[in-house]
Formats: sequence, structure tokens, C-alpha cells
Amino acid sequence: MAGKSGRTISATPNRSFLKTVLSWEGALVVIFIAVLVAGRIMSPSFTLDGVMFMMPQHLCQLFIVFPMAFVLIMGEIDISVGSIACLSATTACLAANAGLPLPLVIIICLATGVACGALNGFVLTKWPELPPMIVTLGTQIIFRGIAEVVIGAGSSLKYDSDNLSPFATYLGPVPIVFIVVIVVAALFMVLLSRTTFGRRLYAIGSNRIAAKYAGIGVNRMRFIVYALAGLMAALCALFLLTQIPAVKSDEFGKGFEMNVIAMCVFGGIATTGGKGNLFGAFIAGMTIVCLRIALGLVNVNDNVITIIIGVLLIVSVLISGISQILARRKLKNKT
Amino acid sequence: MKKILALVLVAVMAVAIFASCTQSGTGGGVEYALVTKAAGNAYNEKEAEGFKAAMDAQGITSYVIKHPEKATVDAQIQVINSLIAQGVKSIAIAANDANALSATLKSAKAKGIKILTLDSDVAVADRLTFCNQAGVQEVGQALIDAVYDIAGGEGDYAILSATSQATNQNAWIDAMKKIAAADSKYSKLNLVEVAYGDDEPQKSTDQTQALLTKYQNLKVICAPTTVGVAAAAKVLQDKKSSVKLTGLGLPSEMAAYIGDDADHSCPYMFLWNPIDLGKLAAYASIALVKGEIDGTAGGTFKAGETTYKLTTVEGTNASEIILGPPFKFDPSNIAEWKKVY
Repeated sequence: MAGKSGRTISATPNRSFLKTVLSWEGALVVIFIAVLVAGRIMSPSFTLDGVMFMMPQHLCQLFIVFPMAFVLIMGEIDISVGSIACLSATTACLAANAGLPLPLVIIICLATGVACGALNGFVLTKWPELPPMIVTLGTQIIFRGIAEVVIGAGSSLKYDSDNLSPFATYLGPVPIVFIVVIVVAALFMVLLSRTTFGRRLYAIGSNRIAAKYAGIGVNRMRFIVYALAGLMAALCALFLLTQIPAVKSDEFGKGFEMNVIAMCVFGGIATTGGKGNLFGAFIAGMTIVCLRIALGLVNVNDNVITIIIGVLLIVSVLISGISQILARRKLKNKT
Repeated sequence: MKKILALVLVAVMAVAIFASCTQSGTGGGVEYALVTKAAGNAYNEKEAEGFKAAMDAQGITSYVIKHPEKATVDAQIQVINSLIAQGVKSIAIAANDANALSATLKSAKAKGIKILTLDSDVAVADRLTFCNQAGVQEVGQALIDAVYDIAGGEGDYAILSATSQATNQNAWIDAMKKIAAADSKYSKLNLVEVAYGDDEPQKSTDQTQALLTKYQNLKVICAPTTVGVAAAAKVLQDKKSSVKLTGLGLPSEMAAYIGDDADHSCPYMFLWNPIDLGKLAAYASIALVKGEIDGTAGGTFKAGETTYKLTTVEGTNASEIILGPPFKFDPSNIAEWKKVY
């Protein structure tokens, strides 16, 4: 029965087909398909080619959804990822403009991300009583501030090479970035649902003290997860540079943290920790991306698009909240 | 494994939905597009108004005006990508950044979409032509004529500029000097000093006061910068000085100082007319799509009654279209324009 609260680590996920459809992820799949069908009806440009053409810029954010899900499952939050993307893109630009070869540019970009994430992890594990929201708010300002010092306020740093263009190509109708997102999604899913690492994340999110006494290296886990968030933010930056080949310190990656958290929450991941899965987060992310694309194609005012997505989020959270309350009542009535 | 399998299934279903009807759309009939810097930008909204007016005047309904949600390249690229996917024929853009749009604009070009810019340009390789609101010669001419007119044909005048390295201001001041030197009409005008207020309100104020103290016979100050002109206007009006002011200023900032009587320091000033710029962009879009111009310098096209010519941007082989002389803001129209920008 404890499964209803979502706070157990069930070793044998035993779900019937009907249950799967009625679960939040099942509902998301239905919503996702509804968005696709609606988009197809609304706009003649909502074709495979059209959507795939617009996809890359939106998809970049999905890289951050997966590590953010890990952070949220631990019951924490990281709002510095957008700034990490900005700083990583800045170092990538500097490296490329200095004439360094592509592999080195990629390594420098990813290393910047890992370093930023590791700094978050270091501060948070060195002083575990500090709230992650405040610490990452601080680093959010610091990372963007460093980028601003390097680039200069108001100006933009151009990525002065086209050596990233292989990452912007298509395999048939499918953009490379889409394939990479799928691969990354699969890796993170395996990590979360098939390894002890994943089980430990749920354990920490469900009850940190219990997890600690059960012998889980809580701080080590937290450090790894924050560093992972930094790494993926840098990967996001790298792919975003293929779409936006210039970095402005006050723009690049701005607001990504909130978009990504929204995708996670929409995907059924509880911000209180211990609950949710990556499939939900992924489908939620894809749904928001496709909705944006569809509304953009029928020339809905951009601000209205933002409002529609906001409303969708609130409604979805409400629905899942109500279903939880109902489930709890049912449980009470039974006992 | 179950979840990954589900993931694959969903992906297959999604593809199937598209595959069921893959004949490429015609873009819902949209052919011409204008992309502004952002929603809520009053200046850009006036450009959009002009664009719409010109399209309506031509009886064209297949156009769309898109305001990105924020004034960022990210938001602008989203909008441009969606227009490319709709298969539009031309996109006129007021760019948020000169470099960042290049990848997007290259893919638009690859699909045969005519790209032009207005208001603020991108790298010249990424667009066919640029609707320039401020031709250097035209600005220089308007300013020197204003000085001539306000000074009454003769006397001392000073220029209050931005920084000594400001590209635009230096070009305009240079043009003023050249025009004044070339025509004997302006021979009785005497430029006493070019002062630099560095586009800082306080420094511009100090420089204005210094000019007033240094030159007792000063008749006119010309400030070809919005910061400088506003600072100077306040100094002159507060001191009830007999020295008059003209230049390039924002109507909203200058409304309180514009007037013909002794209580106001600025009889009239200039800036661009965004409505006309929007119209020019619309006519240029149509001409590009119809093939009347191809973006090379020397081409001509008609915008309503006026014929415009594509001129070469100095130092490049790219073209631009100059809107014409700057727009005059005087007591008769300032009340309306101060609400705009």
C-alpha cells in the first residue's frame, strides 16, 4: 500500500497494462499524441520535415531535463544550469576563436560545465545545511557574471568557426541532436532504474537520514549529481551553439533552469523528492517542445504561447494532485 | 527495458502520424513576414504598423508580423525557424544581434527565402539588403540645415556629441562639416567646438554648461545623440538661455522641451520615422520576391509613389536602401509621437 505514496523503492515493478495507461506517464503519452494530432490539423506546415527543422533549438534544453530530474528526485534543486550553459558556451567560443581543434573545444566546453557543477556540489557537500536553492542562485549569478566579464556587458561573443556544423546536420529527416538526446535519455533511464546509483537517488529523496544510516554516501551522490548537471548543461550549450553561434552573457541559456524544472514537474517528478521517472520527464519535455512548435507554426502570438504552456503546467499538476488526494482517501476508507 | 521500449513505441507512433500525410504544406498561405525585436517595443510596433499598411495598400493579405516574446536571439531564432518551416518567401528582420542569427539565416537562404533587414542589420553575407533608417548624408544635411535655419543663417554654433570614437556620430558630424564647406550658403555659420558628453547625462550637462560659458555669442547647439540632446535641452530650458538646440532625440524624452516660444529650448529636432521604415521594408520584400531587385546595388523599385535605389554599403559589396531624410519632430506632431517612443 505504501506504493501509493510513491515513497517506496519497489524492487518488482508489477504493473498491469491498464494501470500503465492510467498512470501519469500514460496520460502524458496521450497528451503528447493529442498535441501532434492537433498540430497536424491546425497547420499544414506541421510535417515531419517542418517539425524536425524547428526541433534542434528546442531539443537542446532536454539534455538538462535528465540530470535535473536526478536533482529533483533527491529532493533538491539546481537553478544554476542556465548560467552554466552560458559560461560553457563562452569558453567554447574562446577556445574555438583561438583556433583550437574541435575535440579540444568540446573538452574545454564540457570541462567548464563539470567544473561549475562540481563547484555547486563542493559547496553543498562541504556545508550540507545550506539550501540548494540559495547556493545555486548564488552560483547562477556568479557564472553569468564571469561570462559577462569575459564577453563584456551588452556585446556578443561570436563563435567564429563552422567546425560545429557536423552537429547541426540531419540523418535522413532526423537531426543529429535528436538522436543524441534519445541516446542520453536511454543512458540516464538505465542509470536511474537499473543501477544501485538510481535506487540510492530515490532513497535519498525519500528519506535522507534513513539513506545515510543505510550506508549510502549521501554527499558523494549529491556531488556526482550536481557535477552531472553541469556536464549536461555544457552539452546543451554545445548543441545550442550550432543554432545560435554567438553568446550574449545576459541571454544565452537564460531561463533554461525554469523551463527544465517545468518539464520535470509536468513529467510527474515531485519537487519534494523520491518520486517520478525519466520517461515521464522526457515525454513531458517533448510535449512542451511540440506544442511550442505547433503554436509557432500557426502564428500564435509568442506571449500567448507562454501563457498556454503555463496553464497546461498548472492544470497537469492539479490533475495529478487531485488523483493523489483521491487515492489517499480511498486508502483511508479501506483501513 | 519496458520504459525504453515504450519510448521507442511512442517515437514510432509520432513518426507514423507525420508519415500519414507528408505532402509538404504550403505554409498556410503566408508569403511575407516581418520579425521585430520583441513584443512591447513601441518603436518596432510602429514599424509593424507601416509594414501592415504597405501590404494592405498592395492588396496583399498573405503576410504575418511576428513579435518574439523577448528581445533575445533565442526567441527571435524560434520565430524565424517557424517561418522557414512555413515556407514563407521573404522575411524582414529587425535583428537582436548581428552575429547570432547567422546559422538560422543561412538555412533560410538555402531554402530560397529572401532575407532583408531593417532597423538593425546582421552580417552582410546573411541578408540581401538592409533598409537603413539613417543615411549619413541625409542626416548631415538635415542637421546643418536645421542649424542654418535656427541660427538665422549666420553665427556661432557648437556640436555636443557622444564619445569621440562613436562611429555614427562622427560620420554625421563629418557629413555636416563637408556639406557646410561645399556650399557658400553656410559660410557665415561658424562651428566653434565639438564637445563630447560621452552619452552620459551628467557629463553632457557639464559640457553644455561649459559651452555656454566659453562662447558668449553661441546661437545654436546641435546634439546628434539622444542622451546629449536631452541633457542639453534641460540645461538650456532651466537657464532660460537664448541659445537654441536641435539634433537627434527621442520624442518621449524631448516633448517637454520642444516648442517655438522662448520657454522651450528646442524648436525642432529629428529622428527616424519607424512607420515609413516598416513600409519601405514591405515594399522591398515584395520587390525581392517578385524579382524586381536581387539585392545587388544599383537596382531600383517603387515603394508607393517613391522610387528607391539600392546603394552600396561603404567598404563592402553589399547593398542597403536608405529611407530618406530623417523625420522632423516639431510642436505640431510631438504630442502624438511622444507616446510612441
